[in-house]
Amino acid sequence: MVGFWDGYVWPGVVILAQILLIVVPLLVAVAYLTYAERKVIGAIHLRKGPNVVGPLGLLQPIADGLKLLVKETILPARANIGVFVLAPIITFTLSFIAWAVIPFDEGWVLADINVGVLYLFAVSSLGVYGVLMAGWASNSRYAFLGALRSAAQMVSYEVSIGFVIVTVLICAGSLNLSEIVMAQKDLWFFIPLFPMFVIFLISALAETNRSPFDLPEDESALVAGYFVEYSSMLFALFYLGEYAAMILMSGMTVILFLGGWLPPFDIAPFTWVPGIIWFGLKIALVLFVFLWARATFPRYRYDQLMRLGWKVFLPFSLFWVAVTAGAVVAFDWYPS
Amino acid sequence: MPTLTIDGQEITVEPGTTLLQACEEAGSEIPRFCYHERLSIAGNCRMCLVEMEKSPKPVASCAMPAADGMVIHTNTESVKKAREGVMEFLLINHPLDCPICDQGGECDLQDQAMAYGRDSSRFAENKRAVEGKDFGPLIKTFMTRCIHCTRCVRFMEEVAGAPDLGGLYRGEDMEIATVLEKGLDSELSGNIIDLCPVGALTSQPYAFNARSWELRFTESVDVLDAAGSNIRVDARGRQVMRVLPRLNEDVNEEWLGDKSRFAYDGLLRQRLDRPYLRDANGKLQPASWEQAFAAIADRAKGMDGRRFGAIAGDLVDCESMTALKDLTDALGSPHIDCRQDGAKLNASQRASYLFNTTIAGIEDADTCLLIGTNPRWEAPVINQRIRKRWLMGGFAIGVIGEQRELTYRADYLGAGPATLAEIADGQHAFGNVLEAAERPMLILGMGALAREDGDAVLGAASKIAERYGFIGDDWNGFNVLHTAAARVGGLDLGLVPGDGGLDTAGMVAAAGRGELDMLYLLGADEIDMSALGQCFVIYQGHHGDAGAHRADVILPGAAYTEKSATYVNTEGRAQRGRLAVFPPGDAREDWTIVRALSAVLGHALPYDTLDAVRARMTSLSPHMIERNQIARAAWELIEGQGRLDGPAFATPIANYYMTDPISRASETMADCTASFVSRPEALTGTDA
Amino acid sequence: MSFIDRSTKALLLTELVSGLALTFKYMFRKKVTINYPYEKGPLSPRFRGEHALRRYPNGEERCIACKLCEAICPALAITIEAEPREDGSRRTTRYDIDMTKCIYCGFCQEACPVDAIVEGPNYEFATETREELFYDKDKLLANGDRWEKQIAANLAADAPYR
Repeated sequence: MVGFWDGYVWPGVVILAQILLIVVPLLVAVAYLTYAERKVIGAIHLRKGPNVVGPLGLLQPIADGLKLLVKETILPARANIGVFVLAPIITFTLSFIAWAVIPFDEGWVLADINVGVLYLFAVSSLGVYGVLMAGWASNSRYAFLGALRSAAQMVSYEVSIGFVIVTVLICAGSLNLSEIVMAQKDLWFFIPLFPMFVIFLISALAETNRSPFDLPEDESALVAGYFVEYSSMLFALFYLGEYAAMILMSGMTVILFLGGWLPPFDIAPFTWVPGIIWFGLKIALVLFVFLWARATFPRYRYDQLMRLGWKVFLPFSLFWVAVTAGAVVAFDWYPS
Repeated sequence: MPTLTIDGQEITVEPGTTLLQACEEAGSEIPRFCYHERLSIAGNCRMCLVEMEKSPKPVASCAMPAADGMVIHTNTESVKKAREGVMEFLLINHPLDCPICDQGGECDLQDQAMAYGRDSSRFAENKRAVEGKDFGPLIKTFMTRCIHCTRCVRFMEEVAGAPDLGGLYRGEDMEIATVLEKGLDSELSGNIIDLCPVGALTSQPYAFNARSWELRFTESVDVLDAAGSNIRVDARGRQVMRVLPRLNEDVNEEWLGDKSRFAYDGLLRQRLDRPYLRDANGKLQPASWEQAFAAIADRAKGMDGRRFGAIAGDLVDCESMTALKDLTDALGSPHIDCRQDGAKLNASQRASYLFNTTIAGIEDADTCLLIGTNPRWEAPVINQRIRKRWLMGGFAIGVIGEQRELTYRADYLGAGPATLAEIADGQHAFGNVLEAAERPMLILGMGALAREDGDAVLGAASKIAERYGFIGDDWNGFNVLHTAAARVGGLDLGLVPGDGGLDTAGMVAAAGRGELDMLYLLGADEIDMSALGQCFVIYQGHHGDAGAHRADVILPGAAYTEKSATYVNTEGRAQRGRLAVFPPGDAREDWTIVRALSAVLGHALPYDTLDAVRARMTSLSPHMIERNQIARAAWELIEGQGRLDGPAFATPIANYYMTDPISRASETMADCTASFVSRPEALTGTDA
Repeated sequence: MSFIDRSTKALLLTELVSGLALTFKYMFRKKVTINYPYEKGPLSPRFRGEHALRRYPNGEERCIACKLCEAICPALAITIEAEPREDGSRRTTRYDIDMTKCIYCGFCQEACPVDAIVEGPNYEFATETREELFYDKDKLLANGDRWEKQIAANLAADAPYR
């Protein structure tokens, strides 16, 4: 019995607690990301943004959540109900399980696996299934078109994301996320790999279907894209999933290029601040760029989006992989 | 033929043409207020000024005869300036009350002020104000608006022949007023509303009710007398707002009798808007069409067709009379009649019941004999033509019958049949006048025909026509003046008793004796309803008048403004009225009711569309194919039957303003009756 | 040169960066939002809000049933019926405005010769049912009584420009 308790139950409870410790703040973060988005875009538009519910409108996300919760779930009569319900669940789940490998601070990671990058890459690639299923199951031409666009777009940009990660791996010499962070102890990768950093950021926008690449949900052409038929909590799941994916992509950016939990300068006042705070601040900064871009750029046309992905990013990132690898070999800069 | 130059264009006109008419012919429009084609020339508004070369001042084109070699300019600066000056003077005393003026939107002054008016007034003094006058219940006056064109004065004097209006005082104090302080009792008085170029004279019943731009105009034909005046029905929504005359040189020119013009409010009152059935207690109860038809079918089951009779009324259209005749024939009944007043008219000879001379033809006649008729009340527009002919001079008029105030000088020959017989036998002095005449005409009214010895009267009149050369190769002076719009159409369609059939009086008597089981009254209200006994009476019509009160079943029909229908006027001119508004409630177009009932009675009539019923109608009476045309009817001497020994001819209309269900339901007509007919002096006024 | 210029610009994302810079700058500008139900923006005297039928100071209604507003209304929102009043003056028996049809173009008040129908300064007249937006004469006259002071002031303020 001792083996049972010590070997399974307690670790299980601990893991469960750790999961909750990640998921609950994440959900809160998602909620307040929506709030931040409205505030930031409002500010850029010279508006005030939400300011009625609660002080400074801080309770607005709660109100929105409650509203979605009490709304009627509409299941379209001719939809494939099973797939229709499954799709948002998949999207939501996928954007959360990726967090298992994210190191929040030195050693603060749920599953410190050696192929963390591959895991992340795999999970974020799976996200397209939720979208495809939603679009197909809705039995609506808008949803279907949105899903098609989304699938093509995500596949296209994953290619360049893949090459960007390859350059990082060449520099870090490890697939373990914690080790990638530690490899940036002296120099964050966004400085030597600046072009890759930019490509990664832009691709992250595309990967998460964010403006200016939000063609799958292009409201002026497709009403709301793949989730046009969704309402209530099913819609909320998509919504949460999308924003969690945003935070995830920001986390990846921070880990791959911005030195993870590391302070910007390895000297006194900066080192006093705990790593997780640095990690959070950096994520917030990247998220701000996401929102900022949304408030600044108009939406791409679909052919422009495809051209950018295949004819600019792919050759450029390939070229940069070669350059990086060449430099590492030529100057003998092998990571330790 | 003077040849003159107008705006650089050379034009040759008839001698006696005025400059204004010449300019019109040349295509230059001249503004005018006082000038009117059908009235004498006054030349007092000065709006028609044009520039004539070699004339130091502009000339009033309406009063200047066109002469050879004139050079006229109508659109120069000086002409414009002169007209603007005139307009400014006209507007000095004209109030700026267009928003509350009923003429607004169709006002000559308003329109021309847009072209020649200044944007603001320079007149700082007080404007003149004139008290409104009482012109009776038809005409509303706002004399402050009057610009003294005197069209109304000239119309009343020249056309209406009732010189009641005149200009009092002079200069700025001039007022148009009745000479005696009484309303305008002429039956053509409504026309001065149309003539008035401003809003000084407007329609009293129409006051403030609608604006010209809200109205839907429908061209139609009047049925309240037999002249068949052309009218325009102006409707808003589902309501007829007013009735205006429409130009037809051959019938009414551009005039219209007051009854035809103002009785439209009767279309709203006492309407039958749903079928009714008389229940066991003798009360009329609302019913559905199915119930009404079922009740008739129930009653008709096993009925001998010869115990069915049908009478068509005075306002009925030709389409429904066609259907009624076909239904009666199908039921096997010979009892049908369209002469509810019992006029002895002979349907077999068309010339014997038409106004053969035609209305426009009156102007070619040189002698006229009126027999038992008061055209002034029976057909004001025809009376107006007689007066027009009389004004041209050389027109002797003789009257046999009641002595009535006419609008022309007439010789009173005698009261009744005796005088007629004398003339027919060539023993009367007026015979010499007729003998001398080249184109004599006589008008035989219903007062002479709708009586026991009507046949003999017809024979005597026919004899006069033959004897005094009323009938020529291109002239037929024998005229019958009907009082019912449906009459000529009914006779054309053969709505007269068949072999062994009963006429109206016969049917009423037979019903009273119980020899008729079912009587179909198609808009017939003028028969003696109390004499119908136990007969089952079907009344189809649009007003709850005498017929509806007696009826056992009421089938609601459409009034003349509510159906597309054909009417034949007293000349034999087929004209078509159009639907202006829909019938109220459950009421339907009349021929469709007869058609539907025929199916219920098991004798479905073979037409389902208006075109089909019209095809049947024109096959019964080919005269109805060509609309607004008159085919000359062949003349044949009519042999009078019976003795010519009745009492004096009485006028068939006791009250001009109330002759039919529509005008009897009209409040306006009731007001007119109270103001003009019931007054003792109106009844005794004679000057013939 | 222009090719190089363009390529450099594209490669260095200068246009995107300048765009971002602009929006970033705007983020710190003063906000234009006002706190609506508690604060309200200024209204021009010419503001075209809810309709009202005015009266003369002696209480007589101004409308004389000329129907010009009905004629000019491009949305056919106005329905008028008129007949002589007992004293013989021209008055409406019915003056309806279908506020759901109205496009607030203001032609009616321009057409009115007696300043009877006006579009007042009130824009807060949302209702819970459609029927409440079918205004009749009583409602319009009541509006006139309620807003007369402001309407009169607005008309006076705008008068010099007419």
